[in-house]
Amino acid sequence: MADVTISTTASAVVPGPEPRTRDRGLDKRRFSLGGTAIWIVLFFLIVAPVGCFLILAVSPRLFQQGSQWFTLTFVRQAFTGYTGQGIFNSLWVSTLVSFLAVSTATTIAWLVHRTNIGARRLWSLCMWLLLLMPTWMMTLGWTDLLEPHGAASAIGLNTSWLYGEFFGPLGIIIVLTSAALPFAYFIVSAGLQGLGPEFEDAARIHGAGRTRTFATVLPIIAPALLSAIAISFAETMSDFGVAFTLGYHVHFPLATYTLFSAISNFPANFSVAAVIAAVLIILTIPPIALQSVVMRRSKSYAVLSGRTRAPRRREFGSRSRYLSSVGVGLIVFIALGVPILGAVIGSFVQNLGDATGAGAHFTLSYYSQAIHPSTVDNSLGSPLVLSNQLGLVVATLTGVMAIVLARRLVASHGGWSQRITDILLLGSVAVPGVVLGVGYIFFYNLSFITSHVVDIYKTLPLLMLALIASALPGQTRFMAGPVSQIQPSLSEAARVHGAGRFRTWRTTNMPLMSRVLVWGWLLTFTKTLSELAIAQILYPPSQEPASVTIQSYLANFQSGTGTAMTVLTLAEMFGVIIIALAIYRLVTPEGWRRTGWSVVK
Amino acid sequence: MQTLIQTNKSLRLGFISALAAATVASLIALSAPAHAASNPGFVLYSAQGYDHAAVAAFNATNPGFTVTLNDNSTGPLLEQIQAEGNNPKWGVLWVDGATAFAQLDNEGKLLKHSVPKVTFNSLGQANVPADGSYTPTGLTVTGALCYNSAAVKANQLPSTWAQLAESKYASVLGMNDPSQSGPTFPLIAGVMDQMGKYQSGSTAAAVADGKKFFSDLAKGGMLVSSTNGPTLGAMEQGSINMAIVQSSACYGDELNGSFPAIRVKYLNYSIALPSAIGIDGKQPAIVRDDAKKFVDWVMSSAGQKVMQTGDPQGDSLFWPVLKGENPANKVIPPLSSAHAITISPYVWGPLESTVNTWFDSTVVPK
Repeated sequence: MADVTISTTASAVVPGPEPRTRDRGLDKRRFSLGGTAIWIVLFFLIVAPVGCFLILAVSPRLFQQGSQWFTLTFVRQAFTGYTGQGIFNSLWVSTLVSFLAVSTATTIAWLVHRTNIGARRLWSLCMWLLLLMPTWMMTLGWTDLLEPHGAASAIGLNTSWLYGEFFGPLGIIIVLTSAALPFAYFIVSAGLQGLGPEFEDAARIHGAGRTRTFATVLPIIAPALLSAIAISFAETMSDFGVAFTLGYHVHFPLATYTLFSAISNFPANFSVAAVIAAVLIILTIPPIALQSVVMRRSKSYAVLSGRTRAPRRREFGSRSRYLSSVGVGLIVFIALGVPILGAVIGSFVQNLGDATGAGAHFTLSYYSQAIHPSTVDNSLGSPLVLSNQLGLVVATLTGVMAIVLARRLVASHGGWSQRITDILLLGSVAVPGVVLGVGYIFFYNLSFITSHVVDIYKTLPLLMLALIASALPGQTRFMAGPVSQIQPSLSEAARVHGAGRFRTWRTTNMPLMSRVLVWGWLLTFTKTLSELAIAQILYPPSQEPASVTIQSYLANFQSGTGTAMTVLTLAEMFGVIIIALAIYRLVTPEGWRRTGWSVVK
Repeated sequence: MQTLIQTNKSLRLGFISALAAATVASLIALSAPAHAASNPGFVLYSAQGYDHAAVAAFNATNPGFTVTLNDNSTGPLLEQIQAEGNNPKWGVLWVDGATAFAQLDNEGKLLKHSVPKVTFNSLGQANVPADGSYTPTGLTVTGALCYNSAAVKANQLPSTWAQLAESKYASVLGMNDPSQSGPTFPLIAGVMDQMGKYQSGSTAAAVADGKKFFSDLAKGGMLVSSTNGPTLGAMEQGSINMAIVQSSACYGDELNGSFPAIRVKYLNYSIALPSAIGIDGKQPAIVRDDAKKFVDWVMSSAGQKVMQTGDPQGDSLFWPVLKGENPANKVIPPLSSAHAITISPYVWGPLESTVNTWFDSTVVPK
């Protein structure tokens, strides 16, 4: 059974069970109440707000943002100068990062799942923690560590030689590769799990060495590798955290930053921003198309069958085992350990980065300031409570909707509606949060909408909807793999014995899905806590989420307090994960914890 | 075994019920509608550090309606106003710099003749627009030369803007990016205005002179960072020794101890940056009347006092624009020492987007 499957098209990662044979009459059914309801929800959550934003690329007058009903001026403008440079940089960086992430992830996945490397469960867990960490927090940690007179200097390490190297394209690529690594890792892991040892055995019998065997077997999981490349590419293209922090400060424009820059001027140039957003979405098409071509020939990759044997682990000798463990440990340390270390040291050391000779020393004042600030209403307390409430609601509702959508994605009778949903959800992964935020203002503040449909602009429900819209595409793809692996015969048996739909799902699917539900909920919860781009634009008056409070401290030369707040938020995230897993262990039968999908095995 | 399974089931049901209850409770709490009132009050869009204190003080002493605060950075606030288009939700806007107000006024969005009947001092009066569409509430200057006194002595600093372009200064100089830092476009516009000796009519020559000046600074090695935080952080780290930024940022860092060695020098001129407040002219009459009451209160002695105490190490460090009012802290020198000039926001405001785009593509990447 797979560790985790983050699918990029329905049942893309691991070839699923044989499609159920259906009555042709049912296949011809085009409309259903459930399908219509799903499309209405997707329309209000994603299609309408993003569409309102994108249409500005050619028709700014529609939303009183210019005088032209139709123009291509902004398309030309977006591809020239600074913005054009941003698009070009994003393209090559995303391409490079996706290949680096997938090759590194494939190596780690193979070592963890197919060898006796040490601390295997720890590496899988670290990949999960990496998935939860936002890129702006990673950048903050690296900056705190490497800046002149920074955290590394405070603990006696001379990193001045690394500073100039890291604060450039190299640093951007390292952080973005770290961020894409877990996506690729979980997808490739799923592919490897479905690959029995017989293929390796066959290669070895025919005289292939280890490298040749690896090169021979690897193409068999091409669908998983292409899925990993597609999702890594889309995630990297849409990343704003690195573009806004590291990318900006090293003067290396990325498309998401130039998009932000276009709308942060006054008057904002929403039309150029819309063109850049459209380009970001369109650029995800080539990897998806490549994957689709391969999937059309998926029969040749169908390796998972009832006779698939459990993978056998290669037994390393003690030296090889030690070296491979150290190698994986080093990668995990660079990706996860360094930023956490930098942030934690930065929050406890006064005068970090001070060249005036004041001297760095241990302090708790930043934590004190985070809890009891000198300025009215600027503590982390209320914003963090609000973020937790938002996280609870957004994670729960997203989880429910993601299951419904995932079932639809993997259904064998979806037709065109299924395919469009599939494309829409993957395209949405590449939509930057800032686009979603501004699109929500355009759509939900339309006079027609506020007067005749719903008036929720400047309220928390609108922020909730936007956060759900942001989380839903990724969460659905996250659920799609495990859902596709559940044999339909289980549900059919329950229905034959008289169970209703909900009872059928509760007694057959839920036990198999319980772990993915818990981890999916945690993923959305933690991502909601750290989400910045949407929150900054849509938070209602006097109701500031934690990420906005932290960012305002970081931007106003109070980086110590901002870093302390970041560490407190991270600690809270990890605390919630531990509590949730403890509760899961307490309330579920042992069988639930042994079947189905798992983060660590 | 049977008991264990039953216990597990009970716990599971209990937990799922608790999660559902917590979710529903949060949903209700987050979705609670505002109480309908005969007087709805208004939403104040503000980027001022003392706005929380001001709104709390006003609401406490002025029953009848409630001012709701939408506190954010200037950029997101203006984004929201522009995206709201013809269906605005803001009642009052309160940010630093008059150029955005001039543009909103040109678009017919501001309530004209809304300036309270108060007695301005000379610099305050110089920043009141002819049509009274917004009110200056205080004054800082941008283009103050902040420097690290531990790294460079006062007598080693330049005295004029022209000297800044010399390589020995430009190579250790920093400034903010106008597309991310609200007070930076007025700085650039002020320099263009002065370098080009702008009087009236076309700004083309002045813009060209200004562009040449900033290009020279970039060629000389000037460091451009996003906002005050990273710029002053670079000075603290020793990457630069001086920066042209907003005066209150430097005084604040000196007072709050985050950068004790920071000092301020004023060159041959600095650019007056009024904190300005304006009323949305598209709101219903009742909202406009409420907004006027709030602006009147801000310009009263009670309002001015809250402004001067609400953010003691930040935005409260301004020069009052009313006669008889004095700065809140002795760290602020007499305004005459700042050699502040006033630029016309109606002339320079419309150039903001063009100039910022040029700056981002030409000066920032150097």
